[in-house]
Amino acid sequence: MSRIQLDRLHKTFQRHVAVRDLDLTIENGELLVLLGPSGCGKTTTLNCIAGLEMPTSGRVLFDDEDVTAASPHQRNIAMVFQSSLLYPHMTARQNIRTSLAKQKLDRGETDRRIAEASSVLGIDALLDKLPSQLSGGERQRVATAKAIVRQPTAFLLDEPLAALDAALRLTLRAELVNLQKRLGTTMIVVTHDQVEAMTMGDRIAVMNEGRLEQIGTPDEIYNRPATLFVAGFVGSPPMNLIAGEIAAQEGRTPFVAGDLAFVPGTPIGAVGPATLGVRPQHLHIQADAAEAAIPVTVFAVEHLGRESVVILEDDESNKLHALVEPGFAGRVGDRLHAAPDPAHCLMFDQAGNVLSHAEPEAGGAP
Amino acid sequence: MRIRLSTIWSWLALAVVVIWTLLPIYWFLKNSLLTPDEIARFPQPLYPLEPTPAAFFNIFGFEYEMADGLVRRGSGQANQIIRGLGNSLIVSAVVTVVTLFVVLPLAYVFARLDFPHKNKLLFAILLAVALPPVSTLIPFYAMYVRLGLSGTLVGLIIVTLTITIPFVTWMLIGYFRNLPQVERLARIDGFSRFETFVKIIVPLGRSGVAVAAVIAFLFSWNEYTYALLLVNGTTANTLPTAISGFLFQHPEPSHLAAAVVLTMVPPALVAFFLQRHIAEMNLVDPVR
Repeated sequence: MSRIQLDRLHKTFQRHVAVRDLDLTIENGELLVLLGPSGCGKTTTLNCIAGLEMPTSGRVLFDDEDVTAASPHQRNIAMVFQSSLLYPHMTARQNIRTSLAKQKLDRGETDRRIAEASSVLGIDALLDKLPSQLSGGERQRVATAKAIVRQPTAFLLDEPLAALDAALRLTLRAELVNLQKRLGTTMIVVTHDQVEAMTMGDRIAVMNEGRLEQIGTPDEIYNRPATLFVAGFVGSPPMNLIAGEIAAQEGRTPFVAGDLAFVPGTPIGAVGPATLGVRPQHLHIQADAAEAAIPVTVFAVEHLGRESVVILEDDESNKLHALVEPGFAGRVGDRLHAAPDPAHCLMFDQAGNVLSHAEPEAGGAP
Repeated sequence: MRIRLSTIWSWLALAVVVIWTLLPIYWFLKNSLLTPDEIARFPQPLYPLEPTPAAFFNIFGFEYEMADGLVRRGSGQANQIIRGLGNSLIVSAVVTVVTLFVVLPLAYVFARLDFPHKNKLLFAILLAVALPPVSTLIPFYAMYVRLGLSGTLVGLIIVTLTITIPFVTWMLIGYFRNLPQVERLARIDGFSRFETFVKIIVPLGRSGVAVAAVIAFLFSWNEYTYALLLVNGTTANTLPTAISGFLFQHPEPSHLAAAVVLTMVPPALVAFFLQRHIAEMNLVDPVR
């Protein structure tokens, strides 16, 4: 078990910067998710923590001890790779055993640990099969057993569920979190799937272009995104982002975009180009025109059962998403008006940083 | 059931290929089992009426007593055949082992690691494959005469390696490239690069290793051009060149046929025992 710190971690490949001066602390026993689009540097960061990549500059610390130059094995980390990579020519048992090959344990202890790990993951019946004889979910469990059998200081998981089908992903996601909480071992999970990040992480670190955009609990990331990137990346359907500007009008500072003139819940000091962000559940659809509503046309209606998503198109063909009650009667082509809820909207400046935060609703994770 | 025209065509094509490849082999096998009397007959029988293994004893210098009491004497070419067989086995075995030791790490490094001037070096290796053997024949001969390597097994082994090493490297690079990225897994497990290669990559790529061995063995067993110039007529003569010399020595036809059948035995055995690996070595997806 370990507290992991990254101190101005920087990694370049030839001229391409993968990670830029990243400072990050992962607390002992915490499950941190590194979230971001492909190519954002999250896997490189994980590889630097693992010791598979040598950072160009900066330090990696495990419990305040500098391990930047240490090998993965010296750090005693365990890693699960994309699509649960295993040695294809070894049985599940041999794969797990290889994890302990360099631990210098006696045979009895090795066997005891393998038996324990396989019973924790329920793979006793699979131990003598080759990876090619296992399903995706079974391979994932074997890879996890291979990781826990070493009793590592930290688990590092690189897109562990990416190759699985949706139903299995749901099950294994919960199993992984449950296992991590029971073992109390620090775990870092890399994913590009924001739902996975929200459901698994104690905290989420959102990365983009090698930089840390924001780190916080799922609730903070969802309800108080610090940047336009985080706002747009997290949430499904995505947050509506409307470009416009903050005008100065007789002591008020309304947000103006086309026909929309909208006064946010919290006053904003700055004036100039800005972006309004509003979650689909806070975009209210009404029949009547209003100053604080955007004239829209219904583009499509998606019924999800518990609720429906209405995709709307404004006069400049920008798409907006709104969540509505399942009984929504609008048809494609209907003219309606979409009004952002002033209490639940965000303003971002031109650089993409948040200008104000509305009060988050209670327990507002998706 | 109606048989489709295309089915008939494919059976026909298959028949042509099978006859084309197997008929010469059959003809030699048949002749090696005929009695001298049957060989002299016209027209020759299409299959051995009274098959006898006499020729196979004779070519190793042994007499063989036929059922009717007639004794067939050992072949006059027995010494050449025994020595040729021994030399061929030595050359092929050494070439196979050395090729594997050089090629496995070489192909692995080219397939999986990055280093400066990789492509230029790879091109240099492939150039050696593209070169027709005849073009290097005279230079090798001139060099070998000076070095005292002509007419020696060592000389023949070195020359053969100049062909098997680049060729097998070229074949295996694609195979190694398609193995899964287990190196990262091995580093997490604490293996060094060398340990990873020996303990993980070689066992994982055993089909590729087997095929590399087959190619190296068959090439050196069948090698004729260099052997003809460098070792023919010396004590280092190999079986193919020795047999080609029989054309001018007029041996008994069944002895010639038996000697030819003998050259086909080791490749046939190799192919038989390693066929599973050969079929398995799918160059696109080595591990299924």
